[in-house]
Amino acid sequence: MTLTVRQTRLISRICWTLALLIVAVPFVFPFLWMVSSGFKSATEIFGQPSLIPRVWRWQNYVDVFEYQPFARQYFNSLYIAVTVTVLTLAISSLAGYALARIRFAGAGLLMIFLLSALMVPEEVTIIPNFFLIRWMGLTDTHAPLILLPVFGSHGVMATFLMRQYFLAIPRELEEAGKMDGLSRFGIWWRIALPMSRPALAAVSIVTFLFSWNLFLEPLVFISSLEKFTLPLALSNFTDSYGLPLWHLQLAATSLAVVPILIVYLIAQRQIIESFALSGVKG
Amino acid sequence: MTSLTLRNLKKSFGATQVIKGVDLKIADGEFVVFVGPSGCGKSTLLRMIAGLEDITEGELYIGERKVNDVQAAQRGVAMVFQSYALYPHLTVRDNMAFGLKVRKVPTGERERRVLEAAASLKLEALLDRYPRELSGGQRQRVAIGRAIVGNPQVFLFDEPLSNLDAELRVHMRSEIAALHQRLENTMIYVTHDQIEAMTLADRIVVLREGLIEQVGTPRELYESPANLFVAQFIGSPRMNVLPATAVAGRLAARGLNVRLAEGVGMRPEHISLTAPEAGLLRGRVALSEYTGAATLLHVELEEAGTALVIANGPVVPEVGQEVGLGIAREHLHVFDKAGRAIRPMEQAA
Repeated sequence: MTLTVRQTRLISRICWTLALLIVAVPFVFPFLWMVSSGFKSATEIFGQPSLIPRVWRWQNYVDVFEYQPFARQYFNSLYIAVTVTVLTLAISSLAGYALARIRFAGAGLLMIFLLSALMVPEEVTIIPNFFLIRWMGLTDTHAPLILLPVFGSHGVMATFLMRQYFLAIPRELEEAGKMDGLSRFGIWWRIALPMSRPALAAVSIVTFLFSWNLFLEPLVFISSLEKFTLPLALSNFTDSYGLPLWHLQLAATSLAVVPILIVYLIAQRQIIESFALSGVKG
Repeated sequence: MTSLTLRNLKKSFGATQVIKGVDLKIADGEFVVFVGPSGCGKSTLLRMIAGLEDITEGELYIGERKVNDVQAAQRGVAMVFQSYALYPHLTVRDNMAFGLKVRKVPTGERERRVLEAAASLKLEALLDRYPRELSGGQRQRVAIGRAIVGNPQVFLFDEPLSNLDAELRVHMRSEIAALHQRLENTMIYVTHDQIEAMTLADRIVVLREGLIEQVGTPRELYESPANLFVAQFIGSPRMNVLPATAVAGRLAARGLNVRLAEGVGMRPEHISLTAPEAGLLRGRVALSEYTGAATLLHVELEEAGTALVIANGPVVPEVGQEVGLGIAREHLHVFDKAGRAIRPMEQAA
C-alpha cells in the first residue's frame, strides 16, 4: 500500500506532535503539580501522590491573603516591575541611541566600561550597594528595588541591546529626518524609537520578568512585611518553626505566575524573539 | 528657483581631504549632474550643499544667502536619497506630510500639498500603504513626492536610480526629466552612470579626487573633453587612447602632425572598418561581442595594443580576420603629456 502525500504529512504531523508532547512533560508537569498542590491540604501534599486533589481546598487562597498582606505585596511587585520597565526603557533607549549615533571622545572606552559591569555578578556588588543605599537612607524602601535594576547590570544590558538595534537603523533615515527639520532629540523620538519597537518590546519583557523575579535585593533591603515583594512574600509562608507551609506557598505561587502567564499568552512570539535578541534565558 | 555658488569649497575628514577646492556656479532652474568614479567626492559635495556635512573651508551660497552655517532644513533644499529613506513606520501619506508636520504647516494645507504631489506622481492610490508594500519604482516616486511637497528651491538627488532594475531606471529617468520640465527648479543630481548624466543634464560636472575636471554641456564633454580622464569617462564604450608615437607616422602621412602629443584618442563609434591596406590603422579582430543593435569588436593593432570598434553594418568581420580602421580627422582627440587635450590650433602651432 502506498501512502498519498497528504497521508504521509498527516502521519508525520502526528509523530511530531506526540514527540513534542513527551518532551513537554518535564516542563509542564511541575507547573501542573504546583497548581494542583495549591488546592490540597498540608497533609494531602505529603500523602499518596495524586495530580488531582482528593478534596479541593479553596480555603488555601483565602488563607494566603490572611496570613500576610499578600494583596499589598502583590501590588508592590506589580508597581515596581512597571516602574522599573518604564524607567529602563526611557534610560536605555536614550543611552543606547547616544552610544550608537553620537560621536564623542571616549565613546568606545565608555562602552567597554559599561559592558564590564555585565561581568560582575550582582551577589558581588550587593554589600557595597547595601552600604550605599543605607548611606542614602533608602533601606526598607522600594527605591533600591527600582534604582538597582535600572542603573545596574540589567540597565547596562538593556542599553547594549538598544544600542545594537539603533546601529542597524539606516543613517539615511536620520538624515532624511534632519532634512525634514528634526532636532537630534526629534530624530530619536519620532524616527529611531518608533522603528525600534521590537527591541523596546524585548527590553520591556526581559525587564519586567527580571524585576518580577528579583529576590536578593528585596531580601537585603526590605524588612517591613507590607513592603515585601512577591518572591520575598512567597518565602515567608512558613510555620512557627520556619518550615514552609507548602499548600499556602504553592497557592500563592500559582497566583504570582498569573501576570507572567498573561504576558506569555498575549505575546508568545515576541517573548521568544526577545530572548533570542537579548541572549537571555527565560 | 534659485542659483547656487560654490566658492573654493573644501571638506576634510580628519587628515583626509576629500573635496579639495571646488568653484562652481549653478544657474536658476539648471539641471546639473555630478559624475565621477567612486570616491571622487560627488556625494560628499552634494551632502555639503544639503547641509548633511559641515563645510571645512570655502563658501556656499544658495541664492544670495550664504548657508555655510545654516541648518539643513532651513536651506530650502530637498534631497532624494539613494535608498529612498522612507520612514518604514509611516504610510505614504504620512511620509510625504512628515516634513510639513515638523514645520507645523496647518493640517488643511498639508493635506492639499500631499494630494497635489500625489496626483502629479500618480500616487493617489498608494497613499495609505506602507513603504514595505510598494515596489522599487513606487518607493522612488514617494521619495520624490516627499521632496516636492516642501516646495524646495533646490532639489538634490543622490544616485536615486541606482537601486532600480534597468528597465525601471530608464522609465524613472524620463519621469525625473519631465519633473524638471514641469517644476523648473534648480536640480543637482549625483550619479556614476554617464548615460543618466548625458540624458538628464543641462550641464555635467566631472569630478575626480575632490576636484572638478570639467564642467560643460553633455555635448561639450563628449565632443571636446578637456583631458584624458574626461575623454575616457564620458562615452561608452570608453575612448581608445593610443600612444602618439605608435600612430604619429601614419597620421603624418595624412597631414596631421601629432609630434607634441602623448596620446591620440578615438571613440569606438567613430572608427570605420576598411580593407586592411586602406585604413589608418591595421589589426586583427580578437573578440567580437554582439549586443543586438551593434557589434563591439576588440581589434588587436599591429603596433598599438587593442582598440574597441563599434560595427553597425550588416556584415561584421569574423574573429581572426585582418581589418583596417579609419577615422575622420575631426573625430581625433589629441592629448599632451599631462593628459590635457590639445586643440587643433595648438596642434598647428
